[in-house]
Amino acid sequence: MKAAWVVFRKELTDALRDRRTLMMVMLSSVVIGPVLLVALSALVAQIEQRAEQREVMVSGMAHAPTLRNYIERQTYTVKEAPADYERQLERSKLGYPVVVIGADFERELAHGEAPMVEVVTSSSDQRAQSAIGRVQSLLRGFGSEQAMLRLAVRGVAPDVVQAVEVDERDLANPRTRAAQFTGMLPFFVLMAVLYGALNAALDTTAGERERGSLEPLLMNPASRFSLVAGKWGAVASVSMLIAVLSSFSFLPGQWLLRSESLAAMFQYGPREALLFLALLVPLAAALAAVMMAVAIRCKSVKEAQANTTVILLAVSLLPVMTLFNQEGEQPWHLWVPALAQSTLMNRVLKGEAMAPADVLVPLLVSAVLAAACLSFVAHRIRAAAVR
Amino acid sequence: MIDVQQLRKQFVQGRGRKAQAVKAVDGVAFAAPDGRITGLLGPNGAGKTTTLRMIAGLIEPDAGRVLVDGIEVAQQPQTALARMGVLSDARGLYPRLSARENIVYYGRLHGMADEAAHARAELLADMLEMRPLLERRTDGFSQGERMKTALARALVHDPAHIILDEPTNGLDVLATRSLRESLRRLRDEHGKCIVFSTHIMQEVERLCDHVVVVSHGRTVAQGTVAELCARTGREDFEDTFVELAFSEQERAQAHGEPA
Repeated sequence: MKAAWVVFRKELTDALRDRRTLMMVMLSSVVIGPVLLVALSALVAQIEQRAEQREVMVSGMAHAPTLRNYIERQTYTVKEAPADYERQLERSKLGYPVVVIGADFERELAHGEAPMVEVVTSSSDQRAQSAIGRVQSLLRGFGSEQAMLRLAVRGVAPDVVQAVEVDERDLANPRTRAAQFTGMLPFFVLMAVLYGALNAALDTTAGERERGSLEPLLMNPASRFSLVAGKWGAVASVSMLIAVLSSFSFLPGQWLLRSESLAAMFQYGPREALLFLALLVPLAAALAAVMMAVAIRCKSVKEAQANTTVILLAVSLLPVMTLFNQEGEQPWHLWVPALAQSTLMNRVLKGEAMAPADVLVPLLVSAVLAAACLSFVAHRIRAAAVR
Repeated sequence: MIDVQQLRKQFVQGRGRKAQAVKAVDGVAFAAPDGRITGLLGPNGAGKTTTLRMIAGLIEPDAGRVLVDGIEVAQQPQTALARMGVLSDARGLYPRLSARENIVYYGRLHGMADEAAHARAELLADMLEMRPLLERRTDGFSQGERMKTALARALVHDPAHIILDEPTNGLDVLATRSLRESLRRLRDEHGKCIVFSTHIMQEVERLCDHVVVVSHGRTVAQGTVAELCARTGREDFEDTFVELAFSEQERAQAHGEPA
C-alpha cells in the first residue's frame, strides 16, 4: 500500500503541474455554470420588468377610443407601435406583441358587428411571446365587459351567460418553479467533474504508454494493483477537486442574481452545495476508473481521446434524456450513473426530500463500477506496457 | 548471478483465421556471473528485447526459467525485481517532473526512504556527470540527457544486477565513452552483474567479458571475444559474428558475397 501512496503523490503533483490544462478545465467547467446562471437571471429580470411595466403596444389606437379607455382603466399604458413592427418582430428585436386595430373598429363596435383585432407576434421572439398571455386576457376582458354592458341594457343578469367560474391555482412551490430555470445546473456540474478527470485519466494510462514510461514503471517491485490504485486515487482526487470548486461556485453566483424573484426561489446555500458534493464524489471516483479502463487499451492520448468521446457523450446526454421523457422520474433512473446524480441534484434544487435508499443506490452502482474498471486496468496494464 | 535456462516465448499475431504464431525466443540460455559484463549480441529481431523483458518479469516465458540469485522471476517477480535495475527498451521520463524527481520516484517505489533516495540521486548524478541536469524538468532534455536520467533511475536502489537494453542507442561518442567507463567502474569497484544487449560489435569488443550470440531466438554461441574468434578461425570479430549469427543462405542473400 506504501507504493500506492508513492504513486498517488507523484501522479497528483504531475497532474497539478499541468497548469494550462487545469486552467482550461477551470474556465470551461467551473466558471461557465455561474456565468450562465447570472445571464439567465438577467433574462428573467427583464421579463419580470416587462410584466410590472404594464405596457401594451398598439398600432392604430386612434381608431378605438373605447378600447383605449378600457386599457387605461386597467392601469396599462399604451405604446404606439413603430411602423416597421413586423420586421422588428421577425428579427426578435421588438420584445412586445402588437395589437393591430382596423380603421372601422369604433363604428363596427357601435353596430354590434364584432370588429376584428389582430395580435401580431412571432414565436421566435421569446420576450414578445412571454407577454402574449397578458395582452390576450386584456382584450378578452374588454370583450366580456362590452358583452355585459349589452346584456345589462337588455335586462339580462350577467350570471346567465357565465355558467362556470374559472380560477387558477398553481401548486408548484417557488423552488419547484425555479427548477425550470435551474434544471440545467446539474448538467454543468456533471460536465465539470467529467472534464476534471479526463486529462489526468488519459495521461496516467495512454499517456504513459505513449511516452514509453509504463514499461520501466512496471519493472519496479510494486504490485500492479497498488500502481493502479495510486493512479486512480490521483485522477479521482483531481476530479473531486473540480467537483468541490464547481459545487461551491454557485454560491457567489447567487449573489450576482439580478432577478429578485429568481434569487428568492433559487435557494442554493452551503447545505445544497454539500449535498451536491455528497452525490458527486462517488461519481467522480467511478468516472475516473471508467475513463482509465477505456484509455489503458489505447496506445496514444489521441486515440484515447477519441475513445472516451463515447463516455463524454453518454454522460452529457443521459440527463438531457429526462427532458424528452414526459413520464417524469422513473425508479430505474437511480440505477444509471450520471442520470442518477443529475436526477438527485435536481431534487436538491427543488427542495424535495431524499430517502437514504435513493442515495445508497447510486453509491453502490458507483462503487461496483469503479471496482470492476480498476481490476480491468490492473489486469491489462502489463500487456499494455509491452505492446 | 543471473541464470537464464532455455527460455521460449511465442506471440500470436493477428486474429481469427489470420492468426500466426511467431517464435520470438526459442531456446536462449546463458549464465551471467557477478563482477562480469555479459553482452547479448544479436541482429535486429533476434529476440534480445523479449529475453530481457522475460528476465525483468514483464513477460512470462512459455517454457524455461530465469533465476536471479536463485530466485525464480516468474514465481517471485517482486523479490527478483528488487535485486535488478533494468533499463528497458522504452525509457520514457515524466516531462513535468525534474530529473531528480524522476529518479527519486523510482527509489521510493523500491521502498527507499525519502532522504536515502535523494542522496542516491545525487551520488548517481556525480557518477554519470549529470549534476547540472538534476533540478531541471526533463521536458526538452536531449537524447543523451534522457538516457543518463533513465540510467540513474534504473540504478537508484543500488541493484546487484544491472540489465540494459541497447544502452548506447542514440548516444554520441563522448556519451558512449562515459557510459562504458561507468559500467566498468560498476563492475570493478562494486562487483555488479551486468547484462546488456546490443547489435554493435565495437561495444562488445571493448566492454564484454562474456559474449552471448543470439540469433533467430536461440543462443548460437558464447564465450569471450577471443574464444569466439578462435572458434571460427577468423581474426576480425565482425566476420566471426556474421558467421555465427547468420546462416550461409542469409549471408549470400544480404551481400552476394561468398560465405
